[in-house]
Amino acid sequence: MIETIGKSEDNKIMNILAEVTGGKSYKAHKYALDRSERPSVDYGPNEIVWKRRAETTPHKTYIDLSERCKTLAGQDDQILCYFLDGSRRIFKVDDMAYTQSGGRGVIYPVVAGQIGVGCCRRIDKRVNSARFKREFVLSMPDVADADGKSGFWPATVKKLNECAELKRLGIEFSTILPYKTSKNDDKKYEDRATASIQDRMIEREKELVAELVRGGMLNQDNYLVKDGSLEYRPTKEDKSDKRKYQTFKNNYNWVIGASKNFNPEVCMDVYGKPNPKFIADLPLYHRTPVAEYENDMLGDIKFAVWYIRLRDKKQTRTPFDGILKVEKILVTEEENEHGIESELVDTLSAYLINERNPVCYGSDLRWANHIYPIYLTESFVKSRYLSTESFLHLF
Amino acid sequence: MSKLIGRILATEKSPTTIDEFNFWTNSDLKLSAFDIVKVEHIDGSYTFGMIENISHITDAQSFLTNFISSDFGDVNVDEPTLRVGMNYAKAKVSFNSGNLYTPVHNNAKVYLASAEEITMALGLDRIQNPLVCGSLRMYEGTPEEVTLPVHLNSKFILGPEGAHLNISGISGLAAKTSYAMFLMKAVQDRYQGDDMGDSVAFVIFNVKGKDLMAIDRPNDFSSDNPGEKERTYAEYKALGLSTDPFKNVKYYIPYTNPNSAKQSTYLTKAEIQDKIGADQLKKFKYVYSDDKENIEMMFADIDDPTQTMESIISKIIDKEDNDFGGLSTWEQFMDKVTEKAQRGSAGDKGDISVLSWRKFKRIVRKALQDEMFANRVNDKGPECRLADELKQIRKNEVYVVDIAKLPEDKQAFVFGDAVRTIYNLKLGEYDAESIDPPSRIIIFIDELNKYASKDVPKTSPILREILDVTERGRSLGVVLFAAEQFRSAIHARVTGNCATHAYGRTNSIETSAKDYSSLPNTYKNMLTRLEQGDYLVQNPIFRSILKINFPKPIYKQFKQ
Repeated sequence: MIETIGKSEDNKIMNILAEVTGGKSYKAHKYALDRSERPSVDYGPNEIVWKRRAETTPHKTYIDLSERCKTLAGQDDQILCYFLDGSRRIFKVDDMAYTQSGGRGVIYPVVAGQIGVGCCRRIDKRVNSARFKREFVLSMPDVADADGKSGFWPATVKKLNECAELKRLGIEFSTILPYKTSKNDDKKYEDRATASIQDRMIEREKELVAELVRGGMLNQDNYLVKDGSLEYRPTKEDKSDKRKYQTFKNNYNWVIGASKNFNPEVCMDVYGKPNPKFIADLPLYHRTPVAEYENDMLGDIKFAVWYIRLRDKKQTRTPFDGILKVEKILVTEEENEHGIESELVDTLSAYLINERNPVCYGSDLRWANHIYPIYLTESFVKSRYLSTESFLHLF
Repeated sequence: MSKLIGRILATEKSPTTIDEFNFWTNSDLKLSAFDIVKVEHIDGSYTFGMIENISHITDAQSFLTNFISSDFGDVNVDEPTLRVGMNYAKAKVSFNSGNLYTPVHNNAKVYLASAEEITMALGLDRIQNPLVCGSLRMYEGTPEEVTLPVHLNSKFILGPEGAHLNISGISGLAAKTSYAMFLMKAVQDRYQGDDMGDSVAFVIFNVKGKDLMAIDRPNDFSSDNPGEKERTYAEYKALGLSTDPFKNVKYYIPYTNPNSAKQSTYLTKAEIQDKIGADQLKKFKYVYSDDKENIEMMFADIDDPTQTMESIISKIIDKEDNDFGGLSTWEQFMDKVTEKAQRGSAGDKGDISVLSWRKFKRIVRKALQDEMFANRVNDKGPECRLADELKQIRKNEVYVVDIAKLPEDKQAFVFGDAVRTIYNLKLGEYDAESIDPPSRIIIFIDELNKYASKDVPKTSPILREILDVTERGRSLGVVLFAAEQFRSAIHARVTGNCATHAYGRTNSIETSAKDYSSLPNTYKNMLTRLEQGDYLVQNPIFRSILKINFPKPIYKQFKQ
């Protein structure tokens, strides 16, 4: 007996959502919202305030690490052992109309995403998968919840997951994230939805870091390198409990963030002036002095940040290609007061510089700023996604 | 439980098909071409495949990626992370246990196979009239290594279903003679008993030194490492063969007077005496009255476009001929030829010019100076006519004819005469004088290219004999085991009629010839690297070409 191909229209996710939220589904065109990954300079406003130097030795200019790199490369040990990357794939899957005051219908996009967070461990020069989390999420306008009662979204998700088609495919949505529809933000609805999914992904990344720490996997011999910035906002729950808050910070003692894209405008020189040229002129295998910044949005957490150059300017397209922005949270009181040990910064930087090879030239346009284990982790996470066709077909 | 080694790969660009599949494995796993793997398939069946090629790939998109990964060309740079790489193997489907030849599925599990499964996958489990032709080794160098004896159906090598063996490979490295001798040893062992319906005898030509002049003596392994003897004996036993050298061997060497300084053999006088004493050796002679018909064999390599040589030879053979009919010795014959070759000779009325007679004389005179062309055979001494002896060959007997020290034209003469005699014997021409020849006679000749290459004149009587043997010998019971350096140089009708082909080590010029176009590239390259004692064997009953190995010779070896 051949299974009937196709299914009754009532079974489609959008129909269920329309029914539950009282909206009208327009069966609009479905498409991906992700930008393709290309090297870019991240301009635009940034509220980060650079404060003082954040290392024990008051360096005034670039620090040459080439000798240290060679020494470390000659040794057979490695302290950068874990690599973490989160990634999401976001699609606009429908337009939904909701009646508002005066009986007029307003159309809002419905956005769906796949979130993947993965961690790989390097043992004996080989990268193996260590942890992986994947989830399917939806983002809908907050007005879709007509009553505004808590518990509405979880109930909706539950109902959704009971649908036969999802059950047959073994797929479950983990949550529906409402995005704000207020008018006093000039961001597009799609972008607001994307941001909510992005936040969810960061949340997942944080959980994974915490998991690794709780598992006792991170220590001074086993650092975690995270792709992207460490600018994690502590949640309200994080802050409410002091001990929990310290734990949150401690989690990050053995974590460094390595960003491919950064805003060079934010970097100030020793005179406190923005000086992108200072970074652009960074010589090969050198690092900048460490600066400290805090951000109101991020609470009282202080970050140490510095830049290192992995590749010769002659061989990259722009002077900012080949530069990695490195971040580390200042955890202990001593660090908060005097900054990080310069020795540690040098060592971490040298290890990171040694990660310049192999490259992913040809596979990723951002090869000059990528470090290979992170690239592998990213590839691993992406390889576990449900294919675009299968995913969009759910809606 | 079989060891899981990988999973099937099926993509849009490289799908799995009825014929082949790809699978990935760990880069460090030791596999080699010709290894058999087992794949889970539908209905609980297993598909077996033979590995044809193994590739290693990494995620580097181009060579440039790797170059850049060494700081733009610094050869001393080591990477802290190994680039992601994997091996994938391409395998040819050889068998499915449920007769289900639909393509295997993506991600299906791939295992190493057990000895029984390999036997089944290669179709070696149901071979009738088994005759061991070597052993095959799978998963070499791993704990799972398997060694299996390989059997041929003897009806497909000795006839009547299929016959003849062709062995090719470069001198020294391929061990062609050793392989032919190994097979003949297996045949002799197999047919020693009376349970086989057929009876077999062997005629072997020794063409090099005294290589084959002591095949009834055991190998003393004096030039090998200690323990080699035990190891070789164990291999023979594992293949189900005895460790004795050849039995019932007789040697034939060209006649020379024992007192002559020049001997036509590499055997020493003592060795000759020793063998004569054991009643094992005879010296063969050619007598004019009986052997004049074979004179044409001396002309095998001579171009004869106007067929004048042929007319001279037919005149000589003609019993009614006025000039040659009544002659009885080679001397008389030469006198007559000399007479004919003289200017204005009386007999020159016919159509044969004096010039042709002179050419004929030139060729024949030199040859006939050899002592083996004699007036008569002395029955009292260890002398014989080779043809008479061949007519008397019996079941399980091995005749070794030594032609190593003869010049090429006389080698051809002896070989041509012997092949013709054996062929005629099996054709029944001597039924009146001979009693019960064995049902199969195997002729082994090395350097087949001398007699049956593509460049041999079409009129060559030896080529004609060889073609007769390869084309009709299968049913008559004359089986040719031939070896040569370059298979591509051999007449297509000769190789085409061989049922079994053994390819030993050869060079890349040879493998680029058209004869090898049916082999996959990997196998061709493999041919240039084969170890001594390794052969690729093709036989109609094998599902695919097999890589086999055979043990060292068990008979006496002479150091070079």
